[in-house]
Amino acid sequence: MWVWFFKLGSPKWFYELSGKWLPWLVAAMVIFMTIGLVWGLLFLPPDYQQGFTSRILIVHVAVAGTSLAFFPLMFVAGTITLVWRMKLADMVAKNAAILGAWFSFITLATGSLWGSVMWGTWWEWTDSRLVSMLFQLFLLLGVISLRSALEDSDAAAKACALLSIVGCINVVIIKYSVEWWNTLHQVSSPVTTDTSSPNGPEFWIATLIMIVAVYLFLTVSLILSTRNEILERERKAQWVKDLVLKAK
Amino acid sequence: MTGKQTTTSAAFLATLKRDLLIAFKKKNDIVNPFMFFIIVVSLFPIGISPESDRLTEIAAGVIWISVLLASMLSMDNLYRSDFEDGSLEQLLLSPHPLFFLVLAKNISHWLVSGLPVVLVSPLLAYMLALPEEAYGTLFLSLLLGTPIMSLVGSIAVALTVGLGSRGLILAVITLPMSVPVLIFGTLAVQSTLNSQSPLGYLSLMLVMLSVSVSLAPLASAAALRISVN
Amino acid sequence: MSSAAPTASSNSDTDTIMLAARGLFCARDDRVLFKNLNFDLPEGQVLQVQGSNGSGKTTLMRILCGLNDGYEGSIKWYGQEIEDQAANFFSSLLYIGHRVGVAKVLTPVENLRWSCSLKQAVSDEEIMAALKEVGLRGFEESPCYTLSAGQQQRVSLARLIISPASLWVLDEPFTTLDRKGVERLEQILQRQAQAGGSVMVTTHHSLNIPELAMLSLG
Repeated sequence: MWVWFFKLGSPKWFYELSGKWLPWLVAAMVIFMTIGLVWGLLFLPPDYQQGFTSRILIVHVAVAGTSLAFFPLMFVAGTITLVWRMKLADMVAKNAAILGAWFSFITLATGSLWGSVMWGTWWEWTDSRLVSMLFQLFLLLGVISLRSALEDSDAAAKACALLSIVGCINVVIIKYSVEWWNTLHQVSSPVTTDTSSPNGPEFWIATLIMIVAVYLFLTVSLILSTRNEILERERKAQWVKDLVLKAK
Repeated sequence: MTGKQTTTSAAFLATLKRDLLIAFKKKNDIVNPFMFFIIVVSLFPIGISPESDRLTEIAAGVIWISVLLASMLSMDNLYRSDFEDGSLEQLLLSPHPLFFLVLAKNISHWLVSGLPVVLVSPLLAYMLALPEEAYGTLFLSLLLGTPIMSLVGSIAVALTVGLGSRGLILAVITLPMSVPVLIFGTLAVQSTLNSQSPLGYLSLMLVMLSVSVSLAPLASAAALRISVN
Repeated sequence: MSSAAPTASSNSDTDTIMLAARGLFCARDDRVLFKNLNFDLPEGQVLQVQGSNGSGKTTLMRILCGLNDGYEGSIKWYGQEIEDQAANFFSSLLYIGHRVGVAKVLTPVENLRWSCSLKQAVSDEEIMAALKEVGLRGFEESPCYTLSAGQQQRVSLARLIISPASLWVLDEPFTTLDRKGVERLEQILQRQAQAGGSVMVTTHHSLNIPELAMLSLG
């Protein structure tokens, strides 16, 4: 198991292996994405309560669910960077922060789009999920800005790893405290944040397909950007030179 | 007696004493954030409303957010001059656990920047028309909350200490992390105003404080090692 | 880029080896500073590290102190890796870098009280005597920002006199010193070597010390 683990730390090995996986992952992503989007957005029967807006919810729930994976991912990558000093983990973490910020942003955007129809307002502080997602976005932006401020890539790797670990713990605390904060303010709020209205099984199957599709999208984007990062950081290595020459 | 190694508690006390001495000699670093705090609080009634009813409503939040901003300003210098003059390297090369030395620096920072804010809070609460029965809760919540902010902020300061021009990066990193403290601090005050017991929130803050005391200096120490590398 | 493996020419091979470095490799941003660097530092030796600007002298010093972990290879302190006995190693080590570790708002005495007490208990009499020896008599109670760069350097050098550390790692300690200061520091280094301690020092000066060995980088 450990041999495999340390082999994965070699950027070259990862580059070659991910190159083999990539076509399959992309194919699976396209299939799930197409089914999810076409079925979910065009053919799904409208929710009896929410009407056609429930279709936005399919995308929103899938993206939101995926956004929650970023800090745990960065926590693991950060631990690997600090303990085993694996360069690959840092390359993944760097791109995970940027992707995570985009995912959080899209979650907020789709969430407020849905809210604008359902609640008649684009932003609702009483929805604890939106609020904690907002702060997750802020924390991710903090990690990104720390990375861009530190010039030395080795120091940046370790500093961002540490901040990701601290940030991950923080996100959890923020999530629970915001929820708590919200339940106390909920009494005065006319808005209902309950999204689990009785829906047909189709709704949940479509959402599930969409979640798988978005996770695949996340994996593919992460692999692609990490491969880019590998080529850039290892540009002086012989195998990268060979690769580039072969491509020409 | 030459050659006798100091105990960790002696090194801890020496560091605490030194930082307090530096703070005493560089009064500006302490006085300015404190003045900033008082000025920001005084601006709210002018910007929002002089009516005491509306002020009562926002008093706790205003004081808490001003404390956050002021503590961030005062954090900036926690490790920077030590980094610039090389004292930080000496700190890292001490045979004593860095945890305690960092803790000493954090405690000293809190004593000179957090504690004055806590002590003056009843006065500001009065100015913001907070009902008297909430003074005690506000005071206690600040007493528990400001050290948490010093300890957690210290991690971010340690991470950014090597940056030549760090601008507002410290704020971008630290402020989102202070959300839980802000929530429980203001909730405690509000529950007192609703004549409920704030004890639950205060004890939660006590838990957060003890977790911060035991974990944050570890992270700060690791961050310092990274920054000085 | 240094490809040739530099070796230390030691004149006292039979002594106990205090610090042994094997196969040190360090690269900064794709630039190799040194590779396969080996040297031994026996007790009672002053090892002068030489090299052109940017050859990695400061990096090497910081690596030896454990301030920089961006290297590969092994560094042993009395036959044991320093990472495995950090506290033990740190209590025998005294490092003075480019930034001398003197807080400007504090007086020399206050500075020494703190920096020495991180390692060992020290009395004010010892501090006063040490300051006198480095030629800072009369400046004991002046804030360090009123002192010149050379005088601030002397404050840090006073730690050498107080410290019982057996290994001194000094990065360019001579730069801001006047001629008298240089002579005095040479004496202090010599005294350390004669007492069985060791010194690693980077400088472009040619040192006048009998226990001297050389290590060339780059």
